[in-house]
Amino acid sequence: MATERLQSILSHVAPNASPIDRITQKRADDVVITLALRTPLCKAKKGGFKDTPLDALLFRLLEQVVKKSNVDPQQFGDICLGNVRDGTAVYHLRASSLAAGFPVTTAASTTNRFCSSSLTATQHIANEVASGLIDVGVAVGAETLSFGNVRLNRPFVDEVRNANQSALDCEQPMGQTSETVGTEFNITREMQDHYAVESYRRAELAQKSGWFDDEIVPVTVKVKGKDGTETEKTITKDEIRYGTTYESISKLPPSFAEFGDKSHAGNSSQVTDGAAAIVLMKRSKALELRQPILGKYVGTAIAGLEPRIMGIGPVFAIPKLLSNHNLSINDIDVIEINEAFASMAVYCRDRLGIEWEKLNPRGGAIALGHPFGMTGVRQIVCGLSECRRRKAKILVTSMCMGTGMGMAGLFVSEQ
Amino acid sequence: MGQHSHSRRPPHTPLTTMLEFRTAGFNPYNVKYSPFFDHRIAVGGGANFGLVGNGRLYVLNLTANGIACEKFFETQDCLFDIAWSEQHENQLLTAGGDGSIKLFDIGVGQFPVAGWQEHGREVFSVHWNLVNKSTFLSSSWDGTVKIWSPERKESITTLPIHSCVYSAQFSPHHPDIVTAVSRDSHLRVFDLRTKPSAQNHMTLAVPIHAPPKVRMPGMLNPNSGPTECLTHDWNKYRDSVIATAGVDTIIRTFDLRVPSGPVNLLAGHDYAVRRISWSPHLSDVLLSASYDMTCRVWTDGSNVDKGGNGAGMGAEMGRMDQHTEFAMGVDWCLFGAEGWCATCAWDERVLVWDVREFMRR
Repeated sequence: MATERLQSILSHVAPNASPIDRITQKRADDVVITLALRTPLCKAKKGGFKDTPLDALLFRLLEQVVKKSNVDPQQFGDICLGNVRDGTAVYHLRASSLAAGFPVTTAASTTNRFCSSSLTATQHIANEVASGLIDVGVAVGAETLSFGNVRLNRPFVDEVRNANQSALDCEQPMGQTSETVGTEFNITREMQDHYAVESYRRAELAQKSGWFDDEIVPVTVKVKGKDGTETEKTITKDEIRYGTTYESISKLPPSFAEFGDKSHAGNSSQVTDGAAAIVLMKRSKALELRQPILGKYVGTAIAGLEPRIMGIGPVFAIPKLLSNHNLSINDIDVIEINEAFASMAVYCRDRLGIEWEKLNPRGGAIALGHPFGMTGVRQIVCGLSECRRRKAKILVTSMCMGTGMGMAGLFVSEQ
Repeated sequence: MGQHSHSRRPPHTPLTTMLEFRTAGFNPYNVKYSPFFDHRIAVGGGANFGLVGNGRLYVLNLTANGIACEKFFETQDCLFDIAWSEQHENQLLTAGGDGSIKLFDIGVGQFPVAGWQEHGREVFSVHWNLVNKSTFLSSSWDGTVKIWSPERKESITTLPIHSCVYSAQFSPHHPDIVTAVSRDSHLRVFDLRTKPSAQNHMTLAVPIHAPPKVRMPGMLNPNSGPTECLTHDWNKYRDSVIATAGVDTIIRTFDLRVPSGPVNLLAGHDYAVRRISWSPHLSDVLLSASYDMTCRVWTDGSNVDKGGNGAGMGAEMGRMDQHTEFAMGVDWCLFGAEGWCATCAWDERVLVWDVREFMRR
C-alpha cells in the first residue's frame, strides 16, 4: 500500500517514468478491443463441431459479432481470418460474413502464419485501424480440423531442401520437433506430465467455476449420429476431459516413437475445432459509438528461429516484445503461451522465469485444445476474461509456430 | 527551520499578515473553511506524508491570537480530503486511505458518528452537495465515484470510471450534475437524472489534454499526451465553467458548452498542481497549490471590468512561496474581506493569508 502511494506521488513528479504508465496511458488513437468472444472448443472428428464445416462455423460466430457488438455493420471496414488448414478459407469467410449481416462494403481476407494466424490477423486489423485505413475491424480465428486439412504433402524440391539444414528441417513433423526440444533441453517425461496434469486441473476448475461463461457464445449446429441422422445441438461448453491424473497419463505410450518417448496424447495439445473473434477500433471511435472498452492492443513481436526446435519460439518472441516496451517479465500479470506440447511449455516457462501462477491460469491447449487458426484470438479472449476476473492489467499472449517462428502480443485490460 | 509562529519575511515583499498553524507530526492534504462559521477551519492529513501511518483531522479556530486547535480526531489511515456538512454546523466528512468515509461531529467524543466502507482503495475526495445539501459524494483510487446520503448505510449510486479518480464534485449550480477528473486525463460529467443505461449517467467525457479550440498567438500550445489530472473546481459564477489541473503543471479552464478543448491554459507552475479553487467572490480568479511549493493566484482573463479583455488571456497575478514543501490544499474564506484564504503543505503548516498582499501591481 505504502509503496503504491509513494509510486503514485512519484508519478506526479516524474510522469511517464514507468514503462507501465506509458503503455497503460489512454490516448484517443489507441487501438482498443470492444468485443471478445469465442465458440466452445470441441474435439475434432468426435465432438460437437465434427459436422460443422468452416463456413457454417464462421457464419454462426459472425452473426454473434454483429448482434453483440451493437455497432452498425456498415461501420466495419475489414475482417481478417486466421486459418491454417483450409486452402479455400477466404471464400468461406467472405460468403459467411455477407450471410451473417455484414454489408458487401466490409472486405475480408485470410492470413496464415501457422499457429499464430489469428494473432497475425489481429495485428493486421490493428494496423489498419491505427493507420486509418478502416474505422472498425474484426479479427477472427477459426479452424475446423474435422475438415479441411491442407498440409505439406510432398518434400520440397531438391534445390530447396538441399540448400541448407534449416530449409530441410521445415519438412519435420511437429511431433519430431517436440521430441527434439525435450531431448536437447532435458525436459523429462515426468516434468512434461506434471505440467500437463496441471493444465487439465486448471481447465477443469475454470469450467466448473464458470470462468469461461463470459467468453463463450453458445452455437447451435447439426450433428450426424452414427446412423446418419442429423440432429440439432446447442454447444455451450468446451469439451474438457475431467479427472486427469498424473498416474493416468504417465501410462500413455509415446505418440512419436520414432523420434522420442516423451510426448504423447496426454501431454500434447488436443486436436480441436473452434472459432473466436475480437472487434477492434480506435478509442475515439469507441467513445463515439459508446462501446465498452475491454482492453487495448499495444503491439506484437515476431521472431524466427531454427525450425527443428520451433517449440521454443516464445522464448525469442516474448523478450523481443518486452524490450520494445521496456518491460520485464515481472510486469506482466497474465501470460498465455500456447501449449503445443508440454515439452516447449515447460521450457518456455522456466527459461523466461514466469511464475506458473500467471501462466495459462485457465489451462492451455493441452486440456482445451489447439484449433491452429483459432488460438491467437482465443488467447486474447481468454486472457482478457481472466484479467477482468483477477482485476489484472497487463496481458501477454504468445505461441510457437511450425517451421521455426514465435509471436507474442501485448495487451492492457481496461475492465 | 525555526519554530516561529509568524512566517519569515522574504526580502522583496512587504510585511505580510499571515497566520500559521503547525500540524506537528502530520502532513496535511487539504484544508477547508466551515460554511457556517468564519473562524473555523478543518485540516486533514496523515503521518509520514500519508504513505503509511495514522491520519488526523484538525478543527482549528482563527482567533485574535493566531490559530488555535479546537479539537483533533485520530484515524487509522491518512485522510486525503475533508468536507464540511452543509446540513449540520458541527459535522464534517473525511476521505480515508483505507477506503473509509467517516462523519465526525465536533461535539461528540473521539470517534466518528457515522462511517461508510465500500470503496476498495484510497478515497481521494469527498464533496457535499451544495444545492440539495442532503447528499454527498466520494471518489477513489478504485476508479469509482459514489453518491451517499448520511442517513443511508449503503451508497445510493456508484459511477464507474475505471481509472483512479482524484477529484469529484457536485456542481454548485445543479444538484444532479457530478463531475470527476481521473488518472486517465479525462473530465467526466454525469447527470444523475438520466437513466443509468450503458453509460452509467455519464453525459460527457472531455479529454483534458486536447489542444485548445482557439490557438492563441504567443500563448502556450502544448502538444502533450494525456497526464494525470489531480484536481478540478467549478466556477462559482459561470455555471458551465470548470478548471482542471494536474501533473502537466498547466491549469486549464473548460466551458461545458464547448467541451472539445480547453478555453484557457494557465501555465507557470514548475511541478504538478495538486489543488485549485475558484474564488467565491470574483468570477475570474482562482487559486492553486503545487508541488513546486508555491500557491498562485490567477485570472482567466474573462472579467472585462478588471482589465481582462474578456477574450480569455489568463495570467498569473501573484504567488505565495512561504511553504517549504509540496503545497497540497487551498480554500477561500467565504466571509469578510474577499482575499483571505487558507493553504496547507507537507511542511506541516497551515497558512492563512490575504492573496491581495501577494499580488503584483
